[in-house]
Amino acid sequence: MLTKFPTGLRGVRSVVPARYLLLAVSVVAIMSWASTVSAADPAVSFENDISPLLEQHCIRCHTPGNEKGEISLATISDLTENGYIDPGNADGSYLIELVEADQDGEAQMPQESPPLSEAEVALLREWIDSGAGWPAEIVVEERSKADSSWWSLQPLKEAQSDVSIDDFIRRKLHEKQLTLNDAADRRTLIRRATYDLIGLPPTPEEVEQFVHDTDPQAYEKLIDRLLASPHYGERWGRHWLDVVRFGESNGFERNVIINTLWPFRDYVIESINSDKPFDQFIQEHLAGDVLAPHDPEVAVGSAFLVAGPYDDVGNQDAAQAAQIRANTLDEMIRATGEAFLGLTIGCARCHNHKFDPITQRDYYGFYATFSGVRHGAVELATPEAKAERQRRLQPLTKKRQELEQQSRELRATVLARGRSRLAAHEANWTRPPVDRTGTEDRFEPVRAKFVRLICEARDGNPGTAVGFRIDEFEVWSTEEEPRNVALAANGGKASGASRQIEDFPNAYGPQLAIDGKTGARFISAGDRLTIELGDAAEIDRVIFSSAKGESNPEHRKFEFVADYYIEVSSDGKEWQNVASSRDRQPVNREGHLDVRLWRLEASEQEQKEFAELSRELNQINREIAAIPPLPSVWIGRRSAGDAKGPFHIFLGGSPQKKGNEVVPASLASLDETVSPFELSAGTDEAKRRLELARWITDSRNALTLRVLANRIWHYHFGTGIVDTPSDFGYMGGRPSHPELLDFLAVKLRENGWRLKPMHRMIMLSDTYRQSSEFDAGAARVDGDARLLWRFPPRRLSAEEIRDSILQIAGKLDDRMGGPGFRLYHFMQDNVCTYVPLDQHGPETYRRAVYHQNARASVVDLMTDFDQPDCAFSTPNRAETTTPLQALTMLNHSFTMDMATALAERLRGEAGDESAAQVMRAYQLCYGRPPSGSQSAACCEFVEEHGLTALCRVLLNTSEMIYVE
Amino acid sequence: MPQPAQTLRELTRRRFLGDMTTGLTGVGLLQLLAGSAGASPEEWQPGRGQTHFAPRAKRVLQIMCPGAASHMDLWEHKPSLEKYHGQPLPGEENLVSFQGKNGNLMRSPWDFKPAGECGKMISSMLPYMAEHADDIAFIHSLHSKTNTHGPGCVFMNTGHETEGFPSAGAWISYALGSDNENLPTYVAIQDLRGEPPNGKANWTNGFLPARHQAIMMSDQQPIRNLKTPEGIAPKNEAASLRLLDQLNEQYASAHPAESDLQARIAAYELAARMQLSAPEVSDLSRESVEVHRTYGTDDPNKLKAAYARNCLLARRLLERNVRHVSLYCASRASGVDGLLNWDAHKTLKSDYERHCPIFDQPTAALLTDLKRSGLLDETLVLWTTEFGRMPTHQAGTSGRDHNPNGFTAWMMGAGVQGGISYGATDEFGRRAEVNPTTVWDFYATVLHLLGFDHERLTWYHNGLDRRLTDVHGHVIRDILV
Repeated sequence: MLTKFPTGLRGVRSVVPARYLLLAVSVVAIMSWASTVSAADPAVSFENDISPLLEQHCIRCHTPGNEKGEISLATISDLTENGYIDPGNADGSYLIELVEADQDGEAQMPQESPPLSEAEVALLREWIDSGAGWPAEIVVEERSKADSSWWSLQPLKEAQSDVSIDDFIRRKLHEKQLTLNDAADRRTLIRRATYDLIGLPPTPEEVEQFVHDTDPQAYEKLIDRLLASPHYGERWGRHWLDVVRFGESNGFERNVIINTLWPFRDYVIESINSDKPFDQFIQEHLAGDVLAPHDPEVAVGSAFLVAGPYDDVGNQDAAQAAQIRANTLDEMIRATGEAFLGLTIGCARCHNHKFDPITQRDYYGFYATFSGVRHGAVELATPEAKAERQRRLQPLTKKRQELEQQSRELRATVLARGRSRLAAHEANWTRPPVDRTGTEDRFEPVRAKFVRLICEARDGNPGTAVGFRIDEFEVWSTEEEPRNVALAANGGKASGASRQIEDFPNAYGPQLAIDGKTGARFISAGDRLTIELGDAAEIDRVIFSSAKGESNPEHRKFEFVADYYIEVSSDGKEWQNVASSRDRQPVNREGHLDVRLWRLEASEQEQKEFAELSRELNQINREIAAIPPLPSVWIGRRSAGDAKGPFHIFLGGSPQKKGNEVVPASLASLDETVSPFELSAGTDEAKRRLELARWITDSRNALTLRVLANRIWHYHFGTGIVDTPSDFGYMGGRPSHPELLDFLAVKLRENGWRLKPMHRMIMLSDTYRQSSEFDAGAARVDGDARLLWRFPPRRLSAEEIRDSILQIAGKLDDRMGGPGFRLYHFMQDNVCTYVPLDQHGPETYRRAVYHQNARASVVDLMTDFDQPDCAFSTPNRAETTTPLQALTMLNHSFTMDMATALAERLRGEAGDESAAQVMRAYQLCYGRPPSGSQSAACCEFVEEHGLTALCRVLLNTSEMIYVE
Repeated sequence: MPQPAQTLRELTRRRFLGDMTTGLTGVGLLQLLAGSAGASPEEWQPGRGQTHFAPRAKRVLQIMCPGAASHMDLWEHKPSLEKYHGQPLPGEENLVSFQGKNGNLMRSPWDFKPAGECGKMISSMLPYMAEHADDIAFIHSLHSKTNTHGPGCVFMNTGHETEGFPSAGAWISYALGSDNENLPTYVAIQDLRGEPPNGKANWTNGFLPARHQAIMMSDQQPIRNLKTPEGIAPKNEAASLRLLDQLNEQYASAHPAESDLQARIAAYELAARMQLSAPEVSDLSRESVEVHRTYGTDDPNKLKAAYARNCLLARRLLERNVRHVSLYCASRASGVDGLLNWDAHKTLKSDYERHCPIFDQPTAALLTDLKRSGLLDETLVLWTTEFGRMPTHQAGTSGRDHNPNGFTAWMMGAGVQGGISYGATDEFGRRAEVNPTTVWDFYATVLHLLGFDHERLTWYHNGLDRRLTDVHGHVIRDILV
């Protein structure tokens, strides 16, 4: 591919390896020559003969950003500067030496492409001999496999007005001498359509009603009923959530749960239920906050931008931080390209896309577009709600300010008085301040069974007494050879609230303070550490530390006590003070001194006054906290600073290697069909996203319409007309029925980008209504039925399986919306851990779309049955079969709970006769009565092992989770 | 009274007999699960034990020490750190890394001693591991793309720093399939202290089918949902499985074209076998007192004892032909302390004096055991961590910050030379300098030893034929036998 840049923008490389310098010829001569393009008509044309040759053999490994051997063949500069060519002298040019075969018939270059033919070498020679003319504006780039003539980028082809879906399908079948199957029976149809549209099984009553409905419009009525069901949005919303990689934790190292993203899930479900036009829906995803900044129900759509994983670990290394930021934007670019355009734009991050006509310029145009977006939650409320909250808050915050002022003044008065008498106080502070590496207190010998340290103020923060560390606490006896009687080895026992790590008890426990080792330390969660001695002993000394033997004890890791006292006791009830920090100097002359002075100087009246002010302040703070906060939603922050350009191509994807400047723009390969846009570098970031959203949803953007139409088809039939729903490029599949795809895309546009008419049209077709009966002859021609000679059966998704079990057991809680439920126990200790639950309580009996799906969590049934991890967009789910599924379905308590509930239901609805119970069970699970032998086998089983056992078996059967 | 296990076995036996009459063996069922029936035999097929070329290794043990185990304090001796201790790092006097500013060069708190006939200098903190020096091929010149633990671990395990890509074990499961129909193909053994950074993303199947994910098990935590629920009598369970089998068979025979349905029946049988085999493999009481003592399972340090028991479990899994075992020694970063893993930011000496003894004896015992039993001939052992540490101390501390530019990993066993060191960091350990090696090179070599051309082991996903080695990787031939 040739890209013409103004010469001034070309980067000049400076790295010249020494070994090439040896070959360098007169650089000055070459430079002067290179800028002059020979006017004479050379026998060899650079553009027609040489450039394609470089493209084919060289450029992949020798291009800006991938300069193997420190040489790029994109422009003439490296070749001449490094002495690869000597214009007019092919024999003396190193390039020829490299590509020409040696005595063994081997050429040194290229290493990873086919060697140059003799004719090609001859061309190169001729070109060099004739002066090596290289028009300065030409940059050689690797050509992608597909160009802008690629099928998916072309305008939609309108079909004749009177054709139908079936015409397209039949035409293809006919070519292979195949035909559609007969229509499926009604029992099959209602089960298929119900799962398809709402993701739940039809009830036995719905089945019977439909099977016996004499209305010729019975099927149309069924489809309309299902499309009107609010469960429709839950089912098709879930599909869309897969596509937009919706996940509720940030992934990466910390993987912190996100509790403010569920409104986006509800927004998706509601939008789909109301059949919101998809062009509007997509626009809201990219720029809802721009379209309606004051309407939370629209602005929430832009949560799409930040619904993916991102790295939130603070990184002080500037290069790494830049890389992380680039990765974060890359995630948004990929998600956008794949979800709406079916293009793997992300592949153009490090180099131009190798397969599709997407350049780095395109990619970094998107980068500039999204550059103002940061992850996070923001308040999302109507102006009225904001004003109302402000109105309630205002008097309280005013009062708070007054109280704080009074409190400050009181304190200042007391401290001023204290400072004026500082010398007198200091005279009492005879001992040095505490020392983290070892603080000793000696006292009169005393008999003790218990010793405790009580912290009044921590050294890093005098405002709190909690959170100090102790690596060792020694208590010395008065024996002739004193012993540390606190040591665990000497029978000591330590207690005291400590920081807890849920899955690693006592990680920071008090036992660490008496283990005789100093590497690990007790971290207090209260204000004290108590040691019970093995036997009562006479003692006269304690030594304690948080950083014993450490060369850098000042680190916050060694947070220590500042003000404290030591008490002893013989029974653990009556305590006697034996030492304290009262006679030590304070740790510093700021906060710690103030704490001391306040304690020494404040009169009883002043202390009372201060306590009263604090009480009132607490009261006000409680009242403020009681005013409900405005809803906070994870739509991300918008930062004008981040959006400030200029933006550049990152060569090789590295933010440290800036290439040409770019501006927010549309994809060049669609310029022919959709009006392109290109915005100036200073354009407001909101406008950038809005322009992109409008460009993607332009009614002439055939790609967006095709991709969406194909997704609808994909979810109805299990495989799309293009079987890679998010990749309409060269590496993706080719459409099995291209005309049908365009027909559907045109219909979608005609229907105002609404899905419901599309469902109706597809589901009313003979193609959809045919049976899934197998035909060996047809299978030999078209094994996986891509041509649709039968309806392809499928296994239920993870969500459908769980939802079905709940519904069949009569336990499904169909409340819609709101915060999600969790099938894992969430733990946080700096980073987060998700442990699957062994018991699922009734609060989890909601539809699985309301599960708070955290990334990199494994949750039994859901994961076993291929619910994606949402690290990426998942345009089509896997359907695997594993022993783990069997273990979970047989043995997890959820199955047992549901089997019990189902048995209860059967008894309630069918009475005590096992035949009737089995009948009802079959209708609930499979929508059909059992055969005679099935009924007999099941009844016999119930007699012997009970109804619950049968229910457990039925919930495990293949028929439960397959749809024909 | 028969145990549930025995009734399950009956079911399994019956299935086997049935299979013999139809010409399907247990392995046939496994292949049914692999979903690749009907290909021509000469063409390489994933999941059937076939390789691209003759393999040297049949299985992999990957030991991972998360938290960035310091190369210059364990494996790569840097005399210059001793010589220039306390002086600035030349050329990077104002180095700012992951957590911030760095101080001057800091020598390792421990001496290094020559080990084995090769005389390899190894930290005196690892006396047991030093005994294996003659069997190990050290790679001292690895470098990573990231300086952050989570992405680093995921990069080391999947070849990509962003999560969602299949882990090496999943690729190996995909490539080879199972070699033991009664146990999982790929097992991840996590440390008593919890999951490594980025948790399950380290052993995920990513976009490969779910059957390629690692099954989590450890001495402390059995496989989930393995036990028949309380209150179901063995007789009841056996009858339930029979009825289930019968109903599923009927449904499958009414839908002969759906191979899924047969696979599902096979899956229930494999599950039943796993219910028998998994408790057996985790029953360490079958090992001799001597073995327990050698591994250190009775150590008073309960973290060491727990890891030792996991080492023993790993050996038992490998013996039974589990293809890939990932064994973790340590877990995540817990606040400011290098308490739970090798992330010694502030107090290198006390942190590693805690971690090294946990790791050293049990790991060495496991390696000795593999060698003595001959398993090592066909087992490739990998020792990995996500990146290295700085030769300087972190400003205001006596620990080291993250260093993505140079670190050590090693290989041992099937097809690997012993007693050699490949590549090196510069004289201070700051950057990979001699034969810089990528994670992709590392896995290109692993796959090579398993009989695969890493460029041909691919899976289409979202626009690309993805590989464990991304678009990179060269086999490190210098360390091969």
